[in-house]
Amino acid sequence: MTAGGGGLDAFVATVRAASRVAGGFAAALIAIGVLVVCEMVFVRYVLNQNTIWQTDFVTYSLIAATFIGSPYVLMTRGHVNVDVLPHYAGPRFRFWLAVFAATVTLAFAVTLDVLTFLFWKEAWDNKWVSDTMWRARLWIPYMSMPIGLTLLALQCAADFAALVSGREPPFGISGRRA
Amino acid sequence: MSPTTQGLLVLAATLVMLLSGAPVAFGLGVVSIVFIVIFQGFDALHVVAETFYAGLNDFTLVSIPMFVMMGAAIGSSPAGKDLYEALDRWLYRLPGGLVISNLGACAVFAALTGSSPACCAAIGKMGIPEMRARGYPDDVATGSICAGGTLGILIPPSITFILYGIATETSIGRLFLAGVMPGLMLTGLFMMWTLFIIWKRGFRAHAPDFRYTWAEKMRSVPKVLPFVAIIIGVMYVLYGGVATPSEAAGVGAALCVVMAVVIYRMWKPKDWWLILRDTTRESVMILTIIAAAVLFGYMLTSLYLTQTLAQSIADMHANKWVLMGLINLFLLVCGFFIPPAAIILMTAPILYPIIKAAGFDPVWFGVILTINMEIGLIHPPVGLNIYIVSSIAPDVPVTRIMWGTIPYVLCMMLQIVLLCMFPEIATWLPDTLMGPVGPGR
Repeated sequence: MTAGGGGLDAFVATVRAASRVAGGFAAALIAIGVLVVCEMVFVRYVLNQNTIWQTDFVTYSLIAATFIGSPYVLMTRGHVNVDVLPHYAGPRFRFWLAVFAATVTLAFAVTLDVLTFLFWKEAWDNKWVSDTMWRARLWIPYMSMPIGLTLLALQCAADFAALVSGREPPFGISGRRA
Repeated sequence: MSPTTQGLLVLAATLVMLLSGAPVAFGLGVVSIVFIVIFQGFDALHVVAETFYAGLNDFTLVSIPMFVMMGAAIGSSPAGKDLYEALDRWLYRLPGGLVISNLGACAVFAALTGSSPACCAAIGKMGIPEMRARGYPDDVATGSICAGGTLGILIPPSITFILYGIATETSIGRLFLAGVMPGLMLTGLFMMWTLFIIWKRGFRAHAPDFRYTWAEKMRSVPKVLPFVAIIIGVMYVLYGGVATPSEAAGVGAALCVVMAVVIYRMWKPKDWWLILRDTTRESVMILTIIAAAVLFGYMLTSLYLTQTLAQSIADMHANKWVLMGLINLFLLVCGFFIPPAAIILMTAPILYPIIKAAGFDPVWFGVILTINMEIGLIHPPVGLNIYIVSSIAPDVPVTRIMWGTIPYVLCMMLQIVLLCMFPEIATWLPDTLMGPVGPGR
């Protein structure tokens, strides 16, 4: 059932490369978050000074890491699922289960992508700022949502294409039975 | 449509979604969005993005990736091997000392990493071949490691407790403390069972002429001590009220990474990437489920499903212990199929009002819930730890490993019964160190 098209291979490879970059960026955001927490502890408990931006910055960094890292985690099958049925199903049923699961993931990513874009645009148009001392411009942290979800939707589409073209076995399970 | 019918529809759709193999977070998200649209119309969609974002916009959640990084730094290093060796060298003279070393190493490593799979893999890689080489039966060698690995989510710092604390707005520090005594008791029960079964089968541990020198014993300590000191430091900071869980976890994570780099010379970028990669994968997975579960909870609440269910159960006027038995059965069945993080985030908002209304302590219930989740980790059909151990000892049939875990499942059930009979096992330590909780909690 493997489709020939080099175009599809190029699409899948490009999306996977983008997901890997996104994964690296998310990892960097988490690492920066750890460093900022350490800096915050030093300022607050050693220097006995107030902290202003750190709490917001770390929270926003980890939110951004969640959305932007999501395509990488999907690519590496890190998003947990209940794989009892796929594990014991026959190959044909397992294939259709995988098609259903991929469709669900794609539908979720596209729907939430549109909704978060509208949410981001509202923050941009109305110049929303956080209600904390830092008064951060909220379109900046909100931006991570449509960006991450667009990449997630692309990764879902690549996974879907790889599945239906026979490039990837359903749920990564090869053979007649697991 | 009545809330009961709506509830049944939501339940059926959620089950279909989860059993299809779709990622839990995305499945929950789709069910939530579909039912919001069906029952509230397209206009209600404007809250979806905001609710999803709000689910993550909480500084307390920062502690999750930080604790995950602590575990990843230790799990990526040979610390598990060193811990195992240290305990073996100090305890090898005891009858069944190797089993005690293994389970003790699991308990300490669990505290260090907070992750059951990491604990199982790290201690199992050393412990299972060693136990089998010394003639321990296969089912005891593999079953004890499977069970020991589950201690990771009960002995603090535990991500399971953080998730429960966030979902039910219960004090995370109190939950951590509540897990200490049951965690130690469960470790003791595992040890007692293992010693009993190897004694019953006529197995006598070590060759009598075998000796470790004092120099060998002392050499095993320095590599392990710094990590244990960090965990004790984090706990002290947390319970002493010096810093918040997120701050304590952040500093703990940084120190664990530094220690792994210094002690095990993990200088290469590849080593750093391994730590960051594992942290990113687990943190993103958990945080995405949290955001989706918040959306799911919003959908349930806005359709009055949670309130209707809680009211229906209250109207049954069932005996509170019958209710607790049913809740345990429900959690047990969920644990057979669904990962702990997803179960807690999906069920805690529903169960919490019921627990409160029945007069149970939410902190105590957090411990009960966690032990139920532990059972799911070593019980088929999912039983994650079973498959991890199977990959370490591929020549041991999976069915043999499963049979080996059954006595430990019974130990956990016994622990739940003991906790129901004597709730103080969980509540005494937090009440003593942090003071009793007022009626307002």
